[in-house]
Amino acid sequence: MREGFRQAMAWLHTWAGLIFGWLLFAIFLTGTLAYFKEEISHWMQPEVQTHPVDDVRSLNVAQQYLQANAPTAARWFINLPDAREPGLSVMWQDKVDPGQRGNFMRKTLDPVSGLAVQARESMGGEFFYRFHFQLQMPYPWGRWLSTLAAMVMFVALITGIITHKKIFKDFFTFRPRKGQRSWLDGHNAVGVLVLPFHLMITYSSLVIFMSMVMPAPILAAYGNDTQAFFSDVFPATDNAPALGQPGRLLPLASMYQQARAQWAGGHVERVAVNNPSDVNASVNVFRAGSDSVVHDFGSTVSFSGTTGELLRVSGEPSLPAVVGGSFYGLHMGRFAGPVLRWLYFICGLAGTAMIGTGLVIWLGKRQLKHAKAHVMPFELRLVEVLNIASMSGLLIAIAAFFWANRLLPVSFAERSGWEVQTFFIAWGLSLLHASVRRGRRGWVEQLSVAALLFMAIPVINALTTSHHLGVALASGDWAMAGFDLTCLACGVFFAWAARKMQRRGVPAPKAERARPLTLKREAH
Amino acid sequence: MKSKTSLPLAYRFAVTSRVLAAVIGGYLMASLASICLALWLPTARADAVITGMMSSFVFYLLAVLWCFACRSAARAWLGVMLPSALFATLAGVGFWMTRT
Amino acid sequence: MLIAMLMCYAGFTALCLATDRHHGELLRSKPSPARRLGLRVAGGLLLTLAIGPAVWVSGWAQGLVEWCAVLMLSALLLVLLLPYRPRLALILAGVGLLASPVAAFAIL
Repeated sequence: MREGFRQAMAWLHTWAGLIFGWLLFAIFLTGTLAYFKEEISHWMQPEVQTHPVDDVRSLNVAQQYLQANAPTAARWFINLPDAREPGLSVMWQDKVDPGQRGNFMRKTLDPVSGLAVQARESMGGEFFYRFHFQLQMPYPWGRWLSTLAAMVMFVALITGIITHKKIFKDFFTFRPRKGQRSWLDGHNAVGVLVLPFHLMITYSSLVIFMSMVMPAPILAAYGNDTQAFFSDVFPATDNAPALGQPGRLLPLASMYQQARAQWAGGHVERVAVNNPSDVNASVNVFRAGSDSVVHDFGSTVSFSGTTGELLRVSGEPSLPAVVGGSFYGLHMGRFAGPVLRWLYFICGLAGTAMIGTGLVIWLGKRQLKHAKAHVMPFELRLVEVLNIASMSGLLIAIAAFFWANRLLPVSFAERSGWEVQTFFIAWGLSLLHASVRRGRRGWVEQLSVAALLFMAIPVINALTTSHHLGVALASGDWAMAGFDLTCLACGVFFAWAARKMQRRGVPAPKAERARPLTLKREAH
Repeated sequence: MKSKTSLPLAYRFAVTSRVLAAVIGGYLMASLASICLALWLPTARADAVITGMMSSFVFYLLAVLWCFACRSAARAWLGVMLPSALFATLAGVGFWMTRT
Repeated sequence: MLIAMLMCYAGFTALCLATDRHHGELLRSKPSPARRLGLRVAGGLLLTLAIGPAVWVSGWAQGLVEWCAVLMLSALLLVLLLPYRPRLALILAGVGLLASPVAAFAIL
């Protein structure tokens, strides 16, 4: 480590980037998809129809349903439909002993009929959203791992900036068709040009889980009473406990109106009822996150459920709360309209590409030194297999997830779980495939499979449902059509990538003859 | 992975030591720094805590960068533990002050 | 957002031309110090002033986010175009500058 500051940072960047790169690629790609999770859910559950119904009607319908189906639940949640999420959904948490986490049940309702929608069971886009921070691991381990990965990403970003000597000189430099040089230029381009986004998304992901990963100040300032901290920050969680006496819940619609009056035209996104059947029932009306960039954690209006009395209106947030809320709001991007949402998506893909190109460069640089030998050392072979499986393998898994959604029978009860299983089975198979096929062939074959799977998605959509591309375009269902078209475009891109990979394999012999000469000079 | 012979044990030990200093020592330093902020900032309690938590990651980053930029593994530990001790002292004083 | 995008793209093109390497590639000559300074100032000004239309339409919070997004994406677009279609990259900048007043009228 005596080589100097920049070299030390380069070493750190390279190794931190490699060890966590595979995981970060998956997090970034699924997180990027999550920006369109509502649209993905819409495609995956085409049975959920959009009915332009007003909020009050939806609220009444939801309350009736919950009263009939979950009267003794600990908490009710009603998510009102909006432009992107047309379904009225309700959720409830079972009442269990204190200290235990009750099970959550979720149902989508038809606001016209008041019945649960008979849509195919599916996690929809929520799967990608949850995966990108929970990593399919039991609570809370997945969150810890993803937040650790975020910290490593932060280190990798900063060390990358420090290492990049000619960051201003090479700002506009991108030289394609020059082998390793082009990959590095590409890595720098998607890294530097989109740097504000990368820094924002990485730091904000740390802030989002900071109470969990950095609880020290809470304990120092509040001692054992950590609940007091959360009540201070999230007034909506400061709810009166159940008294154990039955009570009648008033209609929620009037509380909805009062809350909206407080916000001078702001939108209501969700209504939560605590202990609905108890005399101490409380109702929290949450403002829509899409109303502003800065996510205001405090913007709830709270009422007593049985008397309708206005308990609390949250005041203006303090500066630290605004800063924290900004991180949260910017990360989530709920405020983004269609154009800005696509820009978020592109930035996310740029981040994914930054990680992917980094992994390819790591291997490529070291592969050059072993070009003469026919057998790659074990470590490099391991990296190669993991590169292929974590990148093209993940693409195959995503396509398989969508395929499973269309091919599994609609009425199959466990289909939601099986869609997720298909995702992981496909990913696992791609890992197996990568370990038995030699590098370049592994890439070409997997990219080709991904290309075929994605390009075929609009086709199987047309074959298995009545919502195919033609119908969607004709009825102005942009989410549905956009999904099909994006899958098609991705498929074409992967096919192009597969062909480029294949072509590059051909002129290798000539280059290999030239390399041994330079290798001898470098090795000593 | 640089040459045909495997890396010397001393080197591996040094790297591991730095990694531990960065990951564990860094976390310790970041936590203590955030506690200091939470106890010393003149704002409302919740606000001070939030500010402390949000800033902690910058301290963590600085600790990690130091651990790999400095000249030896021993310096890495020193460079993380000394500030930690300082923050711990400040935090202790702050804690004592809120009690009285 | 469109005006901001056009201005940012033009601004980045100006900054790009201010470098020896890219000026040489695109205009086949080395820029004189005066020209380099002029391009840098023009580029920086365009990038900064692009905040104006974004905030005018969407307010400070959303406007700044939009400006930032447009900044990043216009830079990305320029850098990806440069090696493949350098002339198109320049033409787009010119057209964009000309079209900005028109786009500005549209939102007023």
